[in-house]
Amino acid sequence: MKRVIPVLVLSVAGLIPVWRYEPSIGTTTTTTTEAVAPTPTPSATSSSSGSSSSTPSTSSKKVVQGTAINTDKGTVQVQVTFEGDKISAVSMLQQPDHPQTTAAVPVLIEETLKAQSSKIDTVSGATITSDAYVQSLQAAIDAKGA
Amino acid sequence: MNRVEHVMGFPVSLRIDDEGGGSRLDETADALFAWLREVDARFSPFRPDSEVCRYDRGELRLPQLSADLTEVLDLCEQYRLATGGAFDVRLPGRPLDPCAVVKGWSVQRAAELLTAAGARRFILNAGGDVVVSGGPWRVGVRHPEHADQLCTVLELTDGAVATSARYERGDHIVDGRTGRPATGLLSLSVVADSLTEADATATAAFAMGPEGVDWAAARPGCEIFAVDAERRVRRTPGFPVATVAA
Repeated sequence: MKRVIPVLVLSVAGLIPVWRYEPSIGTTTTTTTEAVAPTPTPSATSSSSGSSSSTPSTSSKKVVQGTAINTDKGTVQVQVTFEGDKISAVSMLQQPDHPQTTAAVPVLIEETLKAQSSKIDTVSGATITSDAYVQSLQAAIDAKGA
Repeated sequence: MNRVEHVMGFPVSLRIDDEGGGSRLDETADALFAWLREVDARFSPFRPDSEVCRYDRGELRLPQLSADLTEVLDLCEQYRLATGGAFDVRLPGRPLDPCAVVKGWSVQRAAELLTAAGARRFILNAGGDVVVSGGPWRVGVRHPEHADQLCTVLELTDGAVATSARYERGDHIVDGRTGRPATGLLSLSVVADSLTEADATATAAFAMGPEGVDWAAARPGCEIFAVDAERRVRRTPGFPVATVAA
């Protein structure tokens, strides 16, 4: 029988989005969308390259400040640096003093940073409703590929 | 080629990367969505004239059922027995609801339609349940608490991944042993060769709660990534976590 191994701790309860994804399909493409719904992997660009005029060049650097979010532990605000379509750095502009929260934040950032900065082709998740789909990562990927 | 249509109340995204045959790809996609709409008409527990509802009301008897529904109900029974009753499509006081198996089974069948029509490189994503072919493809798994984040990324060449969780439809998965909503896990993803196996295993394990992680991990051909109620991540060593993108 295979063994399931515990590998990491995600975050404490109700904590902080590291950065805010703002769905903006049909209007402008935000850099945060670029980060999570980047152009397809090089091996898969044949059918959809050139479909997005808003893809930043890989050398461009952009700093985006997240929305300040009030949690029951205090106000949280993050700043994300993008290089091209990848997140290169995350820092906290505002951070609650609660010791448990400050201890947990780096873990959450580290894990989500690892996942966010990856290129992805699609997203698995619990069955999403057609209403919720509009604001989903998958919708952003579909919009980019269309 | 990309298409998104809404069937059975959820979005179905299809991407085919094979070269050439533009109109043939469209015909293939048409056939795929027609099949999913047919499944909805025949197997929806929310349509009074569906085969499922007619069977549930006693208007059809077991020998009169289509081979497809018989296959689905057999699968449901296998998972009920395998989970000690935690996964059960016949909960007391509720109508027969085989949706949890119908979804994975019908989307897997849809993917086989694509393969039979000659498609080699594709992604079929039905409301978060994914079948891929001709990868490597990179599949993000939605973070259980933040819709705008991923909690892991896996790399899959040919196969399926399904995720069960509470965040989209609330406490809709019931532990058949207690009759209560399953709340022991935040999210559980299963990678398997077919979506039939991945989706049913994910739902069944989620219904079992924390013990479902080990149960699913022990199933042949299944790799697991789970987040429990304390936000601990547990995964099988063979779960295909993607290496960092170049």
